[in-house]
Amino acid sequence: MTAPTPTVFVVDDYAPVRRSISRVLHATGFAVAAFASAEEFLAQYDPRTLGCLVLDVAMPALNGLELQDILAKAGSVLPIIFLTGTADIPKSVQAMKHGASDFLTKPVNDEDLLAAVRVAIEKNRSVRQQQTELSEIRARLATLTPREREVLEYVVTGKLNKQIAGDLGTVEQTVKVHRARVMQKMRVRSVAELVRLTQRCGISAR
Amino acid sequence: MSWITIVWSMNAAACLTLAALYLLVWCKQRENWVHLVFSSSAVAAAAIAGFELGMMHSETVGRYEALVRWIHVPVWVLIVSFVSFVRLYLHAGRPWLAWSICGLRTLVLILNFIFTPNLNFREITRLHQFSWWGGEVISVPIGVANPWGTLSSVSLLLLLVFFIDATITVWRRGDRRRALVVGCSMIFGAILAWHVPLVIWGLIEIPFFLCFAYSGIVAAMGYELSNDMAQAARLAGRLEASDKRLNLAADSADLGLWEWDIKCNEVWITDKGRSLFGFGASEKLDFDRFRSSLHPEDREPVLKVVQNSLRTGAEYQSEYRVVLPNGKMRWIAGRGHVEFNGNGQPVRMRGASLDITQRKQAELEAARQRNEMAHLSRVTMLGELSGSIAHELNLPLSAILSNAQAGQRVLANGHADLTELKEILNDIVSEDKRAGEVIRHLRLWLKKGEVHQRSLRINKVVQDVLKLIHSDLVNQKVTVNCELARNLPAVTGDPVQLQQVLVNLVVNACDAMADCNTPERRLLIRTETENGNGNGAVLVSVTDRGGSIPEAKMEQIFEPFFTTKAKGMGLGLSVCHTIIAAHRGKLWATNNADRGATFHFSLPIGGSDGEVVITNNAISS
Repeated sequence: MTAPTPTVFVVDDYAPVRRSISRVLHATGFAVAAFASAEEFLAQYDPRTLGCLVLDVAMPALNGLELQDILAKAGSVLPIIFLTGTADIPKSVQAMKHGASDFLTKPVNDEDLLAAVRVAIEKNRSVRQQQTELSEIRARLATLTPREREVLEYVVTGKLNKQIAGDLGTVEQTVKVHRARVMQKMRVRSVAELVRLTQRCGISAR
Repeated sequence: MSWITIVWSMNAAACLTLAALYLLVWCKQRENWVHLVFSSSAVAAAAIAGFELGMMHSETVGRYEALVRWIHVPVWVLIVSFVSFVRLYLHAGRPWLAWSICGLRTLVLILNFIFTPNLNFREITRLHQFSWWGGEVISVPIGVANPWGTLSSVSLLLLLVFFIDATITVWRRGDRRRALVVGCSMIFGAILAWHVPLVIWGLIEIPFFLCFAYSGIVAAMGYELSNDMAQAARLAGRLEASDKRLNLAADSADLGLWEWDIKCNEVWITDKGRSLFGFGASEKLDFDRFRSSLHPEDREPVLKVVQNSLRTGAEYQSEYRVVLPNGKMRWIAGRGHVEFNGNGQPVRMRGASLDITQRKQAELEAARQRNEMAHLSRVTMLGELSGSIAHELNLPLSAILSNAQAGQRVLANGHADLTELKEILNDIVSEDKRAGEVIRHLRLWLKKGEVHQRSLRINKVVQDVLKLIHSDLVNQKVTVNCELARNLPAVTGDPVQLQQVLVNLVVNACDAMADCNTPERRLLIRTETENGNGNGAVLVSVTDRGGSIPEAKMEQIFEPFFTTKAKGMGLGLSVCHTIIAAHRGKLWATNNADRGATFHFSLPIGGSDGEVVITNNAISS
């Protein structure tokens, strides 16, 4: 699902800065895709790409903060490193609140930029990994029957089969069979493991 | 000695006196040939009187014949002089007649010396001597007339016709007195002269009295000339009086009057003028001396204005500084007029100079205060724009740093791509220049005092301003549309002050649109030529889509301390107004038909070219 090499997207309306940032990243071995405007970036961006976005704040038409909003609304997990000409505190606060990975002021030192890019890419990598795992767990959950799902929700609270049978108004033997199927479908061996999985995909206990 | 000798001698003496007087007059006024002509005719008339007296007293035929022969010389002189006088003085008489008379008379003179004894007689047989009207005994010739003598009579006839024609012309011209006095006396004299052929043909027996016929004419001519001289004297008197009045007026107005004879390069100037320029009381003056009295910076511009006047005949007008001998400076306004001769060559320039130091000082003081105000307002505005300007500096610095570090990394990687390195260095160089440009602009904006009026293109000013506040416009999400007319004529002005005006108008327009929706924040900057009265102007307008200005406040907004903004001193527009007025332009506002307002300013095309540029340190006192 994910691309093997990470790509750094650079969006800045001022060509000389865009070129120079791209050169630094390129010389360090990153794949770079540079765009002159937010619109251009949106038109070509593939959300499946692993990487991060180096984004200029002040741009005509769509500015950096607005692009951040659009991406967030589209559910993007692409980390954003903001570059700004002026150390504008309200803007940086807004950017960080909305989940920016970093906020750097121009002129930016290459080490700072590269460190931020590496952190962002690592973040993206782990987020994407978590997302993969999560979707796998959800796929397993989807294989459960409604009754099995019900039993699962009781199991993760730590109740005994007898208690569950009492709550559900059924016999202990039936609950035992359901529990075994749940454990098998969810590919777990212990209740502790099952609890961890269900917690990750936000299933609450009954 | 009887009355005959006395009368003829007196006639000759009177003629000679007149001749001597007018010869003297002519010697003083060589260009007035009429005086010489008159003088020679008077001499000739005197000579004729002498010859006639000699003939009357002749004892022998031989002597008489010789006298008749030689009298033709003064007669020739006299007739040629009369004809010349009519042509030169009365400006009348037909030229062909004049030439025929002179030619015929010359022919008569030549023939006279060919025939023996002379042109008039084939021979004089005897002299008839008798006492005439109680006078002494006189001789009258009796002989055979020479038929060639008719030529002389023909010339006399032509002369009569010539005189009559000239008299009619003068009369018709309206110059009645001259026609009566000179014309009639000439006609009368020419008629009287007809006694000569009658005597020769033996029809009457009287002595020749040609000298009286002619001296009458001479007297009439003399009377006219003396009339002219009397009038000239009256004119001279009046001229002197008006000269005095003019000098009095000039002195009380502190005007120095001058006159420059261009051919001789001599300058005459009134005493007042000498003291204005600091010239010595008896110093000999020419144009170079005048130039050397000017402030060195003003010499070239003044010379250009003078040369232009000499070339085109335009009124000379300039303002310049004069360095007085004590080292002080004085401002002078000069005006003058060039006179040309018939060939279009400038011969003379007359004019007046006025001390305008006080006015100039007040102007300079006003200009200094205006510039200080403009500077103050500019510095304030820079403070407000500092974020934008910092950004404009940051961009190239950022590109330079990253490019340089990218270069280091490319080199460190060990496989340096020369093309890439070259591109990196090119970018660094051009970005460094860009940063330098921003700093240069800043320095000009912050610099105080000096105002540099120069010829400039208004479109360049617009582009510079848009560069300077580019990031401010981006931050405020204002879209700028430019409609800049191509081939706009140049205007004269201070680029920084004009940028200041434009920045003010653009920033105001952006502020006015702060509450608009983003797509509505559109600004239009337009430049065009305006063909009004005079030489036309360059028009710049800034149109916003914000609120409109209440009609009642249309004028008020340009007054100092009028403001609608929460923060702001209300000086921006008033400073703009003063700056544009100092550029001899106009600044005004109008409301747009749909929404928003437009600010316009116009600057005269060409501006103050050729004038002495005013600088702040122009007066040392």
